[in-house]
Amino acid sequence: MGSEWRRDDGVGLAVARRVAELTEARALPNCRVVAPLGDSLDLLGHWDGANLAVVVDATRSELAPGTISRIEFEDPDQVASAESGSDRGPGLGRSSTHGIGLVGVLRLARAVQQAPARTVVIGVEGEDFRQGSELSSAVAAAVDKAATCVLELVEEALKCA
Amino acid sequence: MTHGANASREVQVDEIARVEGEGGLHVAVRDGVVTEVALNIFEPPRFFEAFLRGRRHTEAPDITARICGICPVAYQMSACNAMEDACGVSVGPGIEALRRLLYCGEYIQSHALHVYLLHAPDFFDCEDAVELAGLDAAAVERGLALKRTGNLLMETVGGRAVHPVNVRVGGFYRAPDRAVIRALAEPLRRARDAALTTVEWVAGFDFPDVERDYVFVSLRRPDRYPLESGRVVSSEGLDTTPAGFAEFAVEEHVQRSNALHAKLGGTQEYLTGPLARYALNFDVLPEIARQAATAAGLGPVCRNPFQSIVVRAVEMVFACDEALRLVESYEPPEPPAVEVPGLAGVGSGATEAPRGLLLHRYELEADGIIRSARIMPPTSQNQLSIESDLRRVVESSLALSDEQLTWRCEQAVRNHDPCISCATHFLDVTVERHS
Repeated sequence: MGSEWRRDDGVGLAVARRVAELTEARALPNCRVVAPLGDSLDLLGHWDGANLAVVVDATRSELAPGTISRIEFEDPDQVASAESGSDRGPGLGRSSTHGIGLVGVLRLARAVQQAPARTVVIGVEGEDFRQGSELSSAVAAAVDKAATCVLELVEEALKCA
Repeated sequence: MTHGANASREVQVDEIARVEGEGGLHVAVRDGVVTEVALNIFEPPRFFEAFLRGRRHTEAPDITARICGICPVAYQMSACNAMEDACGVSVGPGIEALRRLLYCGEYIQSHALHVYLLHAPDFFDCEDAVELAGLDAAAVERGLALKRTGNLLMETVGGRAVHPVNVRVGGFYRAPDRAVIRALAEPLRRARDAALTTVEWVAGFDFPDVERDYVFVSLRRPDRYPLESGRVVSSEGLDTTPAGFAEFAVEEHVQRSNALHAKLGGTQEYLTGPLARYALNFDVLPEIARQAATAAGLGPVCRNPFQSIVVRAVEMVFACDEALRLVESYEPPEPPAVEVPGLAGVGSGATEAPRGLLLHRYELEADGIIRSARIMPPTSQNQLSIESDLRRVVESSLALSDEQLTWRCEQAVRNHDPCISCATHFLDVTVERHS
């Protein structure tokens, strides 16, 4: 996920391209890389019935640029409630037509039984989200490692399948 | 808690949900009389018209498409029409048909999103579509499937589901192969069935009894339901070209809003969008859409803004049926675009965005460089009508509790699927009752 026209926000797409190369080289079965993603709701069509969905996106927190985080999305309702301070969550209620986020999409997918069995987010801490198409050096240097994290998750899932 | 009709109070919504962009709403009631209704659009100005100046005429479709991720095709098509008008170029029927097919994709995508994810939750007292899915998962699944078909159509013709990249002044960069387009027929047949089911579903909703005496404005063509071209007509007898309408519709700035307010002849509020389009073009809807509308209890004119959801559903039937017709008769236009050399002139173009009439007007210098640009999006044209709707809705709903009244007010705004980012030139709500 992300926009490659907003520098480090495009790291998810850079990682996806690397994962595509690696899955092809290793001939991993039943894997699909989807990028770029124009509409977040399209995730439902792509991940319906999947054992594992790995979403790669830029993060923006207090971590050092290029730091990789792994987040298990066990209960999106809980995440939504924590974000909003409301039991009903922000989900889609506060969203606009343009901005249904990952938590909202996952809540909706679960509500219509179209969610993957497991969803993991691999986050790469960004540094520069201004206009432009180049990743900052610390983020560019983290692309291969993030792709390896994705592959490890996929290979682990394939072994268990 | 209920309130007597003569109570005084205030409705304040600081940020209206399930609309695009940022805006608020304030309603004041004093001794049972609505004294103030204000739709406050505080989404920051976006200056698109300013940064079009100095750009080439060929750049306008891609630059203006960035105004909106839901109706980029509308921006592209209005820009193309205006530039082709300025440069004295017409496109052939093949390019026109492909433009119309792309536009059908945007209608399916945008209407499915609004009907199922943004508007329908109001009728079930649900916060959002997730709650609605808990009550009726099959309905939400149907909406999502419809939206995916719209996306598929956009990707196939436009190259991407959001912000298509295949549109250029004069036509398309590349005409899709016949086999690729024909493969859309089966998904479109399923989508048309889903759209028919949608009409039946929304027709069963409980609608507040509100009738408004709108002045409707939309495009019109005698031969087909308007999307990509037409003359501008009104329910009061206006019949003019997009250029004529650009002169007749006067926009003015009001302090509470970063969107301009438009009036016909500088004095008269009007409504554009599904209700207007439907009322002024019922006769040219395909038979399957007219029958669905009639079975849903709609006459040829609908003046209840809460029933706009039924009209949108009927328009989805139309868009799926029309797309299917275009797909089945598709032949790649050759060439896919006509050349449009830049020259000095003034051009206007209007198309029917899902939310209503979208007008572009450009003044070009000798080599096609844009000297000035004017963009009139549907939401800024509808602002005054939305405020009048709110006044009428509050007047007829004074017995509701503050919470219920606030909800009803928000719903009244969502009836029109406003796109505040487009208009920024919208929604927090406040209701104030004084005694």
